[in-house]
Amino acid sequence: MAHADTTHAPPAHPPAHEEETTTGINHRKLLMWVFLGSDCLFFGSLIATYMVYRGQSIVGPYPRDIIDVPITTVSTFVLLMSSFAMVMGVAAARNGNQKRLIQWLVLTIILGGTFIGFQVYEFNLFRVEGLRYETNLFSSTFFTLTGFHGAHVTLGLVWLIALAIMAARNPAGRPSDLDVDIAGLYWHFVDIVWIVIFTLLYLIGGFDGPPEAGHAAVQGWNWVTGLIS
Amino acid sequence: MSTNPGQEAVLAQQEHAAHEEHAAHEDAGISRFFFGHVPEGVHGGMKQYGLLAIFLGVITLVEFLIIVPEGLQGSGVVIAPLVILSVIKFFCVVAFFMHLKFENQLLWQIFVAGLALGLVVALSLVLLFGVFRPTPRAFSEPRVEPFVHHAPAEHEPVARMLPEELPPPADPADLAPPAPAGGAVAGASPGQTLFIGTAACASCHAIQGVAQGVLGPPLDGIASAAGNRISGYSAEDYIRESIVEPDAYTAGTADGLSQDYQQGLMSATMAGIQLTDEDVDALVEYLLQLR
Repeated sequence: MAHADTTHAPPAHPPAHEEETTTGINHRKLLMWVFLGSDCLFFGSLIATYMVYRGQSIVGPYPRDIIDVPITTVSTFVLLMSSFAMVMGVAAARNGNQKRLIQWLVLTIILGGTFIGFQVYEFNLFRVEGLRYETNLFSSTFFTLTGFHGAHVTLGLVWLIALAIMAARNPAGRPSDLDVDIAGLYWHFVDIVWIVIFTLLYLIGGFDGPPEAGHAAVQGWNWVTGLIS
Repeated sequence: MSTNPGQEAVLAQQEHAAHEEHAAHEDAGISRFFFGHVPEGVHGGMKQYGLLAIFLGVITLVEFLIIVPEGLQGSGVVIAPLVILSVIKFFCVVAFFMHLKFENQLLWQIFVAGLALGLVVALSLVLLFGVFRPTPRAFSEPRVEPFVHHAPAEHEPVARMLPEELPPPADPADLAPPAPAGGAVAGASPGQTLFIGTAACASCHAIQGVAQGVLGPPLDGIASAAGNRISGYSAEDYIRESIVEPDAYTAGTADGLSQDYQQGLMSATMAGIQLTDEDVDALVEYLLQLR
């Protein structure tokens, strides 16, 4: 197989500014991937913090009292579908179809906004039911993690709205397919972070109660001290 | 119409090749798109992305169905399937929606490096603070000495002492017996030593002059109160049961205390503490002196 160095660029819409780089990768795209790689560390730490303090709250409400898995399954599905709309927008931009691009962007924004709507509803419900940021270990770690994720989604929404307005105002040239592509990478990343959060905090951790006698942390420690002594 | 069989074969081959090329450029072919090599510049269309979106939606539904049976909720059995399903979802989105499958290898390496570092950080944090976490009790136990109440006059002003002037460490046996403070007994009985040390009672219970724990009820005058908590129980019965079987009865406002104490907290905290029968006897004996 020959080295495929883009001898057949899409005929309809050649890349807007394909400059030469030493890596062969557009610098903006490279930057976005480096950022996403580093954002893995950020969310990794927040998720680990949640997992460390999981099931150790000694006052309620506990996850099992308050986490609504069915509703969050719906919002997870909505975010997943927004990823699909986004990828269709990226494809439309690559084909130079400005009208389709705007349509898919608007759908992505609606779906992403719906997800944020679910989160606002959830946070407010928790507040009303007595789970405030400082209530217990669960609430502090939960709100920190999902709050930062929600902030990422909100930032993505602002970005996509800007792109949609740009595309509607100026049908020629901008946003380039690369502009849309990079926004899409960010949007999908936010989606995959939610895939992890949904599994760990809702499907697995959503039924946690107060710490039990013989908690894993205690057992782990006893096991280690048993080995040493 | 007089083409010989050889020509026909060549034509068929050409047609086949043209068809393949068409498939690769226009449609990429669904199975080729997902599993095969797709030339750079060729990405999926609505069909492929739509199929993938349906596939991801179905996985989400399956994940939800897994935890619908009440018996499976929060059980360890579901963890493995749920993690596997979300890892599949995760990499499908990365490979196809973020089209990393079709990108320069360097981008894969950058992202996977970030992801791997993130996982290592997460795993280290969980291991350090979640699994192998030294409990405050385990840390403090070897360092705890019985509380000794000094009369203020015995103290030299600490600030004036230079290190070389410090007196040799006092042998606890030489110290004058502590002045009885409140309900505390004079001297450190075996029960009191246990109370502050190995049994770690002091981290949750308060006794004037001895301990300042706040999570459990204060134990001043417990010897007098204990006999009235459960009918038919003597003070000794009640204290013994409260140590050995903390969940049997949890004291609260009904007993004239200032608050209701957390049900099940003591059994949870005490799970790692081993007390012998002699330890319990010593503790009961000590607590029965707190009138």
